[in-house]
Amino acid sequence: MRTIFRLIGGSLSLSVVLASGPAAAGPLDAPGAAKALACSACHGLGGQSPSNMMPIIAGIAPWYFKKAIEDYAAGRRPSPEMEPYAKYVLEAGVDDLASYFASQPRQPTAVRVDAGVVERGRVASQQCVVCHVESGKGDPAKGIPDLRGQPPGYLANQMLLFKADRRNPGDATLKALKELMKSIPDDQIADLAAYYSSLR
Amino acid sequence: MARLTRREFLRTSASGAGLALLAAGCGPAIKGDFAPKAGRRVVVIGGGWGGATAAKYLRLADASIEVVLLEPNRQFVSCPFSNLVLSGVRSIDGLTFGYGGLRSHGVRVYHEAASAIEPDVRRVRVGEGYLEYDRLIVSPGVEFQWEQVDGLAAAQDRVLHAWKAGPQTVELARQLAAMPDGGVFVLTVPPVAYRCPPGPYERACQVAWSLKTKKPRSKLVVLDANANVVSKAALFRAAWKDYPNLEYRASNKVVKVDPSTREVTTEFGDRVKYDVINLIPPQRAGTIAVQADLVGADKRWCEVNHLTYESVKHKNVHVVGDSTIGLPVPKSGNIANAMGKICAVAVVHLLNGKEPPAMAPGNTCYSWVNDHEAIAVVNAYKIEGGKVVQIEQKLTPGQSAQWAQNAVGWATSVWQDMLA
Repeated sequence: MRTIFRLIGGSLSLSVVLASGPAAAGPLDAPGAAKALACSACHGLGGQSPSNMMPIIAGIAPWYFKKAIEDYAAGRRPSPEMEPYAKYVLEAGVDDLASYFASQPRQPTAVRVDAGVVERGRVASQQCVVCHVESGKGDPAKGIPDLRGQPPGYLANQMLLFKADRRNPGDATLKALKELMKSIPDDQIADLAAYYSSLR
Repeated sequence: MARLTRREFLRTSASGAGLALLAAGCGPAIKGDFAPKAGRRVVVIGGGWGGATAAKYLRLADASIEVVLLEPNRQFVSCPFSNLVLSGVRSIDGLTFGYGGLRSHGVRVYHEAASAIEPDVRRVRVGEGYLEYDRLIVSPGVEFQWEQVDGLAAAQDRVLHAWKAGPQTVELARQLAAMPDGGVFVLTVPPVAYRCPPGPYERACQVAWSLKTKKPRSKLVVLDANANVVSKAALFRAAWKDYPNLEYRASNKVVKVDPSTREVTTEFGDRVKYDVINLIPPQRAGTIAVQADLVGADKRWCEVNHLTYESVKHKNVHVVGDSTIGLPVPKSGNIANAMGKICAVAVVHLLNGKEPPAMAPGNTCYSWVNDHEAIAVVNAYKIEGGKVVQIEQKLTPGQSAQWAQNAVGWATSVWQDMLA
C-alpha cells in the first residue's frame, strides 16, 4: 500500500517559536473543533479525509451532514462503524458539528485516478446528470449531494450499496436511483467513481 | 499544501533526524539543563499512538507553547496491521514512519529515553541531564512482566513476544516461514488487561491462514490465560471455522517456558511442545510510569481524570494510552490517538487558564481474519458526570472484504492524524 501523507508545508517552521502570550487562533479554535476530534482518526483533521474509503466531510453541506448522521444513528443507513459515531454526534450536538465541518476548507481527494478511466466515466455519466447535474455538484433543493472530488473508493462503495439496496433499504425516495444502479455493471461503477472523483 | 508519498515522508524524516542529532547533542553527552526552557513548555514522553498524537495536537491547539517529545526510537512502527507481517500479507516497511511530520509542526523531537520524572520540581531526567516542563504528558505504552513466566526473562532473545512492532515482528515472521511443514506453532495469550484485546486472536487468524496456505500439515495451538476469547469472540470463533489447523484452549495460562526442550507449561502442569513459540507476556504500564509512582494500588496501571487525563497521583502530569486504566475503553491504538488529542486540548486550556471542554474518545478497531477479510468493533462514548461512559458498542455482522478495505482507509487516516 502506498500511504500518501500530507504535511502542512511552509506554514510552520522547524524552529520553535518561544512566544509567551497566547497564540493567534489556530485550527482547533473554531467552534465545534473539540467535538470533532473524535472524527479525525478516520475523516482527517477538519474532515479532510486522506484515504480512499472515508468520505471528505470538510465543507460538507449541513443539510447533508445532518441527514447522514440521523440515518446512520437510526440504522436506516446501516454501518457498524458510523452508527455508534452518529449517536456520539447526536449526543455532542449535530448542529455544532454540521457547522464546524461546513466551515472547513475542502480540498479534493489526494487519491489519484487514471485519465482513461475518468474518460470512460465521463461518457457513462450521461445517465447521472439529470439529478447530479453536469458539474456533479448536485442540487440541495432536491436533496441531491455534491459528488465532486470525493475519494473514488468511497463513491464506488456507495454506488454498490445502492445497487444491492443496502444503503437506506426500502427508502421509496431512492427507488429510482437504485433501479438505475442495478442497470450499471460493476466495472462501469468504478469508471463513474473515478470521473466524479476527478471533478473540481 | 505539499503532499508526500510514504517514501518521501521517510526521506524528510531522515533529514529531520539529523537535526535532532545536533539538537540532542549526540557528540557531547547530555548533561544538566540541556534545553533551557524560555516560555511555556509541555514535555511528552513516548512517541507512540498517544504521545505522537498529543505532541502534534498541542502544537495545533496553541503554537506558542513549546513541545518536546522524548522517544528513543528513530522510527515509528505501527502495531495495528503488524500481524499481517507475520502472514506475509504486508511488509514492515509499509508500517514504518519517521517523525519528520511532527518536526514540521514545530515539535522538538529528541531520540532519547526519559529516565525519571521529578513532579515536585517539574523536571524529566534524561540520562545525566534534565528538561523542565510546565505540564508533562506520559505515554509510555506497556512493559512486560517477564517474571510472571518462569524461564522467560533469561530467554528473551529466543522466546519472542512480537507485541511491540519492529524487529521481533520481522524475526517471528522469519521463524514462521522457516518452520518445517508438520510443525507446531504455539501462541500464548496473557491475562487481561493487556495491549490490544483482539490482537492475539487476529494473530491466531494470520498464523493459521499462513499455515493453511503454505504448510498444510502444521498446527497452531493457542493457549489463552483467559476463560474465553477476550474481544469479538463470536466473530473470531466463526472465522476459525475456516482453520481446522487451529486448536484453541481457553483457561490455559502459561507459567513456564523452556527453550532447551522447546516446551511451555500451563498452570495445571500440562506441557505443550512447540517448534515456534510466540509468548505474549503479561503486561503493566511502561516502566517510567511505575518508577514515577503513577500506577495505582494494582502496581500495574495509571488512573487518570477522565476529562484531562491528569494523573490522580501527581499534579501537572498527564497519562495517555495503554498505560491508563479505569475508563471503560480498550487499550487500543485508536483510543490512544483519541486520548492524545483530548489531553493535548485539555493541557492547552489549562495552561491558558481556561476550563477544558468535555471531550469523549471513540474506538474503531479492525481485525484481519485472513488475507483479504476483516471484522470490526466500534465504541462510541460520551462524558456524563465527569466520567467517560459508553453510548454504544457495535460489531460487524460478519467478516468481509469491505471491512478490510475500510481498515486500510482507517490506517491511512489515523497514521496521518498522528504523524503527518
